[in-house]
Amino acid sequence: MNPIIPIVFVAGAALGALPAFEVPFVQSLVLTCLLYAGLAVSWSMFSGPTRYLSLATSAFFGLGAYCTAWGLGKLPWPLIILLGGMAAMVFAFLIGLITLKLRGAYFAVITYGLGELVRHTITHVEKTYFHTVGRVLTEAPSAAVVYWTVLAIAALAAWTYVAFGRSRWGHALRGIGMDEERTATLGVNPMRVKLVGFCLSSWFAGALGAAMAVRWTYIDPHTVFNPFIVFQTVLISMVGGPLTVAGPLVGAVGFSLLSEYLRLSLPYLYMIILGVLLIASVLYLPDGIAGHDWKKHFRRKAQPEQKP
Amino acid sequence: MHSQSKRLTLKTTLAVLAGLTFAAGSFSGSAQAQDAPIKVGYTQSRSGPFAAGSQTTQEPNYLLWADMVNKAGGLNVQGKRRMVELVGVDDRSDIETMVRSYEKFMTVDKVDIVLPPWGTGSNFAVAPVANKHGYPMVAPTALSQKLVDMKLPYYFVTLQQPKPMMQALVDMLAANGVKTAAVSYMDDLFGLENIGALEPMLKEKGIQVVDKKSYPLGVKDLSPMLKGMKAANPDAFIGITYPPDNFLITGQAKEIGFAPKVFYTAVGTAFPIYRERMGKSSEGVMGMGSWNPKMSKGAKDYFDAHVALNKKEPDRWASAHAWAALQILQQTVEKVGLDRKAMRDHIAGTEFDTVLGKMRFNGTEEQGVPGMVGQWQNGEFEIVWPPARATAKPVMPKVWN
Repeated sequence: MNPIIPIVFVAGAALGALPAFEVPFVQSLVLTCLLYAGLAVSWSMFSGPTRYLSLATSAFFGLGAYCTAWGLGKLPWPLIILLGGMAAMVFAFLIGLITLKLRGAYFAVITYGLGELVRHTITHVEKTYFHTVGRVLTEAPSAAVVYWTVLAIAALAAWTYVAFGRSRWGHALRGIGMDEERTATLGVNPMRVKLVGFCLSSWFAGALGAAMAVRWTYIDPHTVFNPFIVFQTVLISMVGGPLTVAGPLVGAVGFSLLSEYLRLSLPYLYMIILGVLLIASVLYLPDGIAGHDWKKHFRRKAQPEQKP
Repeated sequence: MHSQSKRLTLKTTLAVLAGLTFAAGSFSGSAQAQDAPIKVGYTQSRSGPFAAGSQTTQEPNYLLWADMVNKAGGLNVQGKRRMVELVGVDDRSDIETMVRSYEKFMTVDKVDIVLPPWGTGSNFAVAPVANKHGYPMVAPTALSQKLVDMKLPYYFVTLQQPKPMMQALVDMLAANGVKTAAVSYMDDLFGLENIGALEPMLKEKGIQVVDKKSYPLGVKDLSPMLKGMKAANPDAFIGITYPPDNFLITGQAKEIGFAPKVFYTAVGTAFPIYRERMGKSSEGVMGMGSWNPKMSKGAKDYFDAHVALNKKEPDRWASAHAWAALQILQQTVEKVGLDRKAMRDHIAGTEFDTVLGKMRFNGTEEQGVPGMVGQWQNGEFEIVWPPARATAKPVMPKVWN
């Protein structure tokens, strides 16, 4: 048996039992780690192998959050989460049809732009048909339920990342990332594969948005379609390394804990330190923490280079 | 040689950093001379989009309060003098970070008092947390009827809500013979709640709305809207705006020569930076305000102390509400001590003397301070309505110069 499996189960059980200890701050901190782990893993699921820089995560997250705003009190909680993910998927499908033909910076810019379009559309719909913009969510489930929901979504995202990566779809996606034309000649329909990958990864961001919305009592388009969410997700995935599932996980936990520690202990200096650390990791670990060949450093010491 | 100097600078940097850390550590420990200090926990936005508001209106008041209390020998808690120790952290303008930080203050650090974060959305998220853990919270920068309607027993707001603010504006317009108005508002909770309060009031006074337009957050050009309003030639322009849009609207209205008798831009007009950025254009502009240093001796003292410590002027609206919230907390602690249930009951049922006059709460909402209208006149934000609070008469028409 794979030795990873029991470790995963023990870690899962430990995380799942956390609300029983009634430590709200620790629970919130772990919640933030899990949120960004889920977002970064799902982002890496598509953008890692294909090298498409998607900036649509905030739009997925916001759509999920608005599903909660509309459905809370009317629909059961698991259905709201499911629908939040589905809403993001539908949106991903529609924009995928148009944008997945693009490459590089064009794709990044247009996904970001379409995210803004959704934000303004939601604002308009809310104002015109519901005569409101912000929504107060008072019938929220308990903090423990929100926590378990986010934990489950993050775990599902990690499992999907691995299972999808091993499937024929995953291989095809990696092929497209390396050389799209050549992959097409091998009988793969690139558009279909990319669309499936993009939609699949979007579900998790939508579901996480749906789960998190109730944490803040009040949501408006400005808070849930926050570009900060996608920037942080991309940053975490890049620093961790999007090509293995460990990358975004390590990145999310490391980044969330480090930034929280620095923020609380050095309230006036932490931004500078965080910035310097990020620059350093981009310069010296271009493949991310998980993707970096750490053994290389030891090898070098064993066989010193000979200079002529 | 080169590498040596490089190493030297690196060493120096490390030494400086180590020194700073040590200094910071010893600084926070120095206050523990006599009785244990009163720990006051709060988050403010030192970075991100809320930073401008937070650092103009709220955090400078927290710093000033701690400084004044400690210079006076501490807070008088049932006969014992205790120093105040602020535990303030940056929330990065991120709501989830605020929720987490307040949970830490209340359950891990177990601070004695919490002070609220900046902004309506932030207060929506943090107020239920404070309520759940039984911490009274008196907030200066929250503006929403929906928040008041949540009826959280531990939560209080010192700022005037949309209804009294809009009523003061409409009364002032009617008293000065305004017959027509063009209204512009922002597409968010603040804009919609204010417009919702404003429209029936205008109708009741027989003021006709000749043009009404909304715009989204982050707008960069409002001149088409303003040109349309200029063509409708209203007596008054009412902008339910806040920064940076009120800078944009003021600048562009001047450019196209849109000069109605009354020019009103709601929030942020009372900020000193509005006067500094707009220069002479700010003269005659009206907005939401509550006070100025001419209002009373207490207001002058507060203004002078704020300038002396923070090296900047307080804004002429919510700054004083932040100061009043701190005065309410201080009077409460001096009266009933730090038992949080007793504090809540005292705040809920007592009339307080503050920089803005008498204050008392009806549930969450403050009742003593009426809605007001201010106007920049010769570099001071004069209160021009209601007459009982006015420091000057309204100057009309608004002239661009």
